[in-house]
Amino acid sequence: MLDSTRKALTPSRVLVYATLLLACLVYLIPVFVMLITSFKTTGDIRTGNLMSMPESWSLEAWSKAWSSACTGVECNGVNGFFWNSLKMTIPAVLISTGLGAINGYVLSKWRFRGSDLFFSMLLFGCFIPFQVVLLPMASTLGKLGLANTTPGLVLVHVVYGVAFTTLFFRNFYVGVPDALVKAARLDGAGFVTIFVRIMLPLSTPIFMVCFIWQFTQIWNDFLFGVVFASGDSQPITVGLNNLVNTSTGVKEYNVDMAAAMIAALPTLLVYILAGKYFIRGLTSGSVKG
Amino acid sequence: MAQLQLKGIRKTYGNAAQETLKGIDINIESGEFLILVGPSGCGKSTLMNSIAGLESITEGGIYIDGEDVTHAEPKDRDIAMVFQSYALYPTMTVRENIAFGLKIRRMPKNEIETEVQRVAKLLQIEPLLDRKPAKLSGGQQQRVAMGRALARRPKIYLFDEPLSNLDAKLRVEMRTEIKRLHQRLGTTIVYVTHDQIEAMTLADRIAVIKDGELLQLGTPKEVYESPATRYVASFIGSPAMSFIPLQVEGEAGNLRGRLKSADGDEMFVPLPEKLSAWHGREIHLGIRPEHITQPLAHKQDQATIASGIFRIEVTEPTGPDVMALTHINGTEVHCRLDPDHTVAPGQPAELMIDMSRAVFFEAGQEARIDA
Repeated sequence: MLDSTRKALTPSRVLVYATLLLACLVYLIPVFVMLITSFKTTGDIRTGNLMSMPESWSLEAWSKAWSSACTGVECNGVNGFFWNSLKMTIPAVLISTGLGAINGYVLSKWRFRGSDLFFSMLLFGCFIPFQVVLLPMASTLGKLGLANTTPGLVLVHVVYGVAFTTLFFRNFYVGVPDALVKAARLDGAGFVTIFVRIMLPLSTPIFMVCFIWQFTQIWNDFLFGVVFASGDSQPITVGLNNLVNTSTGVKEYNVDMAAAMIAALPTLLVYILAGKYFIRGLTSGSVKG
Repeated sequence: MAQLQLKGIRKTYGNAAQETLKGIDINIESGEFLILVGPSGCGKSTLMNSIAGLESITEGGIYIDGEDVTHAEPKDRDIAMVFQSYALYPTMTVRENIAFGLKIRRMPKNEIETEVQRVAKLLQIEPLLDRKPAKLSGGQQQRVAMGRALARRPKIYLFDEPLSNLDAKLRVEMRTEIKRLHQRLGTTIVYVTHDQIEAMTLADRIAVIKDGELLQLGTPKEVYESPATRYVASFIGSPAMSFIPLQVEGEAGNLRGRLKSADGDEMFVPLPEKLSAWHGREIHLGIRPEHITQPLAHKQDQATIASGIFRIEVTEPTGPDVMALTHINGTEVHCRLDPDHTVAPGQPAELMIDMSRAVFFEAGQEARIDA
């Protein structure tokens, strides 16, 4: 609620704002340095200092990072990796979120004998470190014939993500009154109709939470990408790593920074588009009937 | 409209030690308004959910118009329910809420619209049809919830404490409205409440339930005037019936009981002959406030009347009556006096006790001994 009378600027308040401002700067300075460096030319970087503005703004580094920088032996930029990441992330996010929604619906509104135990065991999945599953997962993917493929990576991320999305949806649906489901059952609706017509229309905030969470997790993942993918299915995180670690002569910081920005942009975009739902979804437990 | 039979319904939850429903038998006639009343946790909502098919029962049978629906799905029972929380679908407009059940039953579009209009008119919610539930007041949501139930024209209506979320004034209004609707439509209604006034005012018959047992099933008048157990006697009626311990004295043909005021004044009340077996033993006299009054000239000569002097401790004017509190045989007793008959708190007053409506219980026991 907005207070019409403005609060007096007391010393403690000044301290609070100063601290917040400082925290902001600490977070923003690296981004600022990345951005301005990515617009500099190599000459600029050599003559200026870290914080100085570019002499002339240039998109050269961006275009090089995108299409001609060397990532190991090949020199095609990161664009191939970028598309790989999209091809992996979008299906993985959609499938894991969809499965989470159905799981959450069942675990909150159609409980069965042992469903609480089932849920607790599923939650266990949230706490298993990535490294633990690497070997068994590699062997499973091999047996499924999905090793080193994008569908294989999608499967890994779906399996790993379902624990989280189920948790999100289950906790959200617990807040939806049971009477709604009872009323719909008396109205003649079945399992699927209730899910599609009653629950899904209520679920926008929690879908947004899952989209952001899963997108960020999967897009930013490096370990699974580097272990389970090779050559033409590697995601952008691996591409960025290869680009930065490939040294041929002078280190091109501007290209590195541009590539890093390219790798970071999609998650930023998703957060900006869906972010207003994120906080709302995390905090809204119940739905008023 | 349909007849509903509940036969020996028992229900035990999972591995609970106690039964939630301990064999409920009720026959509900077509067009009857039955109220299930009882304290919180007595099993009345469980019974309601069992009738609707939302919960399964452990033993017994449920029959609608003679047809066994014990194991039928809720949607196949043709029952509509009004929930305490209204349970309106929050993402749908009022129109869509009312039409939802009809759409699922694949009613043609134009018929759905006609039906929505009929119900909206009946409940005077026509201007609200395009609004979302969140934009409605509690009373309006209540009407929409009833509209949703009415639209399907089901065989049986269930109301689960529908008025308990409304404020006092609106509750009385909606109570009247529900009664009017029932009289107009002649539907079979099972209605759960813990409010004994709702039960008395609305019901054709009342079923008093406690701890999963049916204590009494009868018309409001029967339940009020001739309660089957001490619990029923104390639950129905406000202020509650007073229970006065006394000894059965006198001799056959002239049984009587001694009442002693807080000041030591004594008087005798006549007791019915049925109590001769209890001669010399202590029993509890159950009497309602309206049967302890100021002396009434037109009743003075009746055989069941007795009078005595008692000290009035507290008076509570309610408008039409003054409720007065006194002590008889060491027990708090409520009396209902005429507001024009002035009594002063702390002062003795002459009170007249009408024993014709009194009921009797064995000391410390539930069952009536004079029935």
